[in-house]
Amino acid sequence: MSAGNQAVGKRISGVLASLRQWILPLAALTLIFAPPSVAQATGKVHAQSLAGLSLEQLGNVEVTTASKEPEELWQTPAAVYVLTQQDIRRSGATSIPEALRLVPGVEVARIDSGHWAVGIRGFGSTFSKSVLVLIDGRSVYTPLFAGVYWDVQNVLLDDVERIEVIRGPGGTIWGANAVNGVINIITKSATQTHGALVSAGGGSVDQGTGAARYGGTLGRNLNYRFYGLGFTRGPEFHSDQRNFDDWRAGQAGFRTDWTSRGSNDFTAEGDMYRGEVGGGTSVGIYQPPSQMVLEANAEVAGGNVMGNWRHRFGDNSDFRFQGYYDRTSRLTPQLGEKRDTFDLDFLYHLGLGARQDLLLGAGARWSPDAITQTIPTLDIAPHQETDKIYSWFGQDKIALVADKLWLTLGSKFEHNNYTGFEAQPDARLLFTPVPHQAFWIAATRAVRTPSRLDRDLLLTDFLGAPPPTYLRVVGSSDFDSEHLVGTEIGYRGVIGRNFFLDITGFRNSYDDLYGYGTASVFLEPSPAPAHLVFQLPLANALEGDTEGVEVAPNWKVSNWWELRGSYSFLHLVVSDQRGFTDALNTASDNGSSPHHEAGLQSLFDLPRKIELDLTYRYVSALPAQAVRAYQTGDVRLGWKPAPRLELSIVGRNLLQPEHEEFGGDPGPLVGIKRSVYAQITWTEPEQQP
Amino acid sequence: MRISLAGARRFRMRRAKWSLGRLCAACLLPLLFFTPSIRAQEKPSEYDVKAAYLFTFGKFVTWPPAVKERATEPFTICILGQDPFKGALDAIVSQGRIAGLPAATQRLSKLDPDTIARCRVIFISSSEEKQLEQILASLGRAQILTVSDIAGFSRRGGMIEFVLDQDKVRFTVNLAAARSAGLVLSSELLKVALTVREDGRHGE
Repeated sequence: MSAGNQAVGKRISGVLASLRQWILPLAALTLIFAPPSVAQATGKVHAQSLAGLSLEQLGNVEVTTASKEPEELWQTPAAVYVLTQQDIRRSGATSIPEALRLVPGVEVARIDSGHWAVGIRGFGSTFSKSVLVLIDGRSVYTPLFAGVYWDVQNVLLDDVERIEVIRGPGGTIWGANAVNGVINIITKSATQTHGALVSAGGGSVDQGTGAARYGGTLGRNLNYRFYGLGFTRGPEFHSDQRNFDDWRAGQAGFRTDWTSRGSNDFTAEGDMYRGEVGGGTSVGIYQPPSQMVLEANAEVAGGNVMGNWRHRFGDNSDFRFQGYYDRTSRLTPQLGEKRDTFDLDFLYHLGLGARQDLLLGAGARWSPDAITQTIPTLDIAPHQETDKIYSWFGQDKIALVADKLWLTLGSKFEHNNYTGFEAQPDARLLFTPVPHQAFWIAATRAVRTPSRLDRDLLLTDFLGAPPPTYLRVVGSSDFDSEHLVGTEIGYRGVIGRNFFLDITGFRNSYDDLYGYGTASVFLEPSPAPAHLVFQLPLANALEGDTEGVEVAPNWKVSNWWELRGSYSFLHLVVSDQRGFTDALNTASDNGSSPHHEAGLQSLFDLPRKIELDLTYRYVSALPAQAVRAYQTGDVRLGWKPAPRLELSIVGRNLLQPEHEEFGGDPGPLVGIKRSVYAQITWTEPEQQP
Repeated sequence: MRISLAGARRFRMRRAKWSLGRLCAACLLPLLFFTPSIRAQEKPSEYDVKAAYLFTFGKFVTWPPAVKERATEPFTICILGQDPFKGALDAIVSQGRIAGLPAATQRLSKLDPDTIARCRVIFISSSEEKQLEQILASLGRAQILTVSDIAGFSRRGGMIEFVLDQDKVRFTVNLAAARSAGLVLSSELLKVALTVREDGRHGE
């Protein structure tokens, strides 16, 4: 190890002194107790006896398979969980948020049929902020409220290769707004989807679903696929019979992958969709009856096109250039929003000798929107604004000890039109004493830059009468970025040959969180009748700390039985920052994230190509949402009567007729129903092994 | 009232900090002690079998005369990327001869023309999945048997792809890819293969 590297190492370990107290002794213990020679000895005995077998005999040897964890996982000093295509299929999920329920540390709460609150390590809400969601590198996080409209992220689940969920701050690579985590949805290359697929399903909540896809090759190197999908979903349970949340949508798209003989890969893809999503919102009005409930569909539509070029120089370096255009349009009874996003990203990867791996990047995003005001009590002013983000990024991965110890240092520098420059540095240390045993620690700073709502919101709601009194929440021009400093520690390893364990502990410290500033009261003569207004400006009023542990064991009990568990503990405390008193938001933040979440999934491969998958989950209470702790379970039965045909039947939320998961607006909580869903899928592989 | 609440909150935080540290340590410790004892296994691992295949394939492939003439060199099986074999391949190779030559292994972290010239067989590790297209392109028509367990390898232009089939290791063959590199695969090998593709994406 060079003196320079030692100095850098010392600086980082100084920053992480508190973590070091326990990680270093533990790491030393592993070295003592798991010497690499033990693992290799058994391998040698087997291998030598196998060497004399014929090809036929080798093909009949039953083997134990090592973990299916992708190799990159062992090289990643972050809390990553990968949902594979197989995991998604066997979960029986029909939407991305439902599939995410399997991931430890991710809180998925279904508000009603078409709306979810998805948080990572706390702070989940209808407008879940600070979780970045990408589909093939395209950000679907809306700058309007710094969250995700899950109702329009309807990818064809059969075409998803994997979903990578990175818990914890990912701002250094992914940029502002990857504060609590990143959900990275990666679709299959068109080389993997040759042939035809047709599927249809129906059930009690997922009333009807249908999808079709066709793919193939043109010439030698151009692969393509086209797909279309549609669904109609019914309402969840409403004790007041106001079944407003039925929804339906259709979507079509394509992807092409072209590999040139040299060292270039090109991908082009695009989607278009249209849908209507039922919702109910309570709004204030200035005339009697002062308050009313709007129940109508949100009309949603959009489309995107994207191109990606990867080029390899020599053996150890490459660059990627990516650009996309994304259009979204959403018209709800209370507001309309149209947005065009243009994005360019460049990433350059350079191996510097055997010891260093350098990543450099730059990006620009330009996102103009147009707001349509439809009711007097909700507006975002000005109606047109363009979000502009320019970013630069650099990261170096240094092998301090070859194949054993790596230090990753990096930072993103981002310029946005609200707060100017933001730096998001990050330092990570990865230790792999033996193959498939990894320990890591990380320290990161991340920011959430202001959204349009934080700056430009004007929302008025009725409080009481007489005299007619209204509450008004207004965005503020000095709303600054929210900041996070996070430390993490993690272990992942294969124990024996069929047990995989992932454990992460974290501590996040937030400053300048969203809340209400000092209220003012005034009389407003117009619009008539004159009324009293309590005005609350949005401000960086709160601070908070979260701490937690996530455990994800995976045990392949035998060839035909796999057990997966997950447990997440979260301790979240949000309080007023100096000079602020905001009881509303502190109570809401503190009481809206579950302290405990646990899940157990059992996957059976039975004879005659039958799969039986059982899932149990427990989520502790959310006092601020008036949601009680609940436990429920799903069962999926899959059968492949013929090589090209798959039938499945899924029962969801079976342990009670309905249970509540999150507060919506307005009226009583919506119960998530017990439901059944059956699906038939036919695939026609074209010249495929 | 507010002050006492804040005090209580701070107290809770301090307690939680302790429990986090202890919980992690408590979870990790037993695991470390377990590690060596669970190693003993009856069945071979999938990579033990794959290593045996890599060694055996050499007997069923005929290389072009130009390669065969370099009879002074050992028969080298190369591993590109992270070695998943945990010593199993070395253990087999160290005791055997393939095609009359002493066998050897070589690990490559990248493809450079001088070193790959020595490989008869190259195993492309799953760690290289992202660069597979480039790797196959830069191998071009090099007279090397390409083997991998990356999904879709034979479809993407590789020659032999390992496939797990009900906990048995089988393989599929892309005959066109082997042909365009000048390799002849014996009928015995093709008979055992799960499927044989006649078309090639990078071939002919």
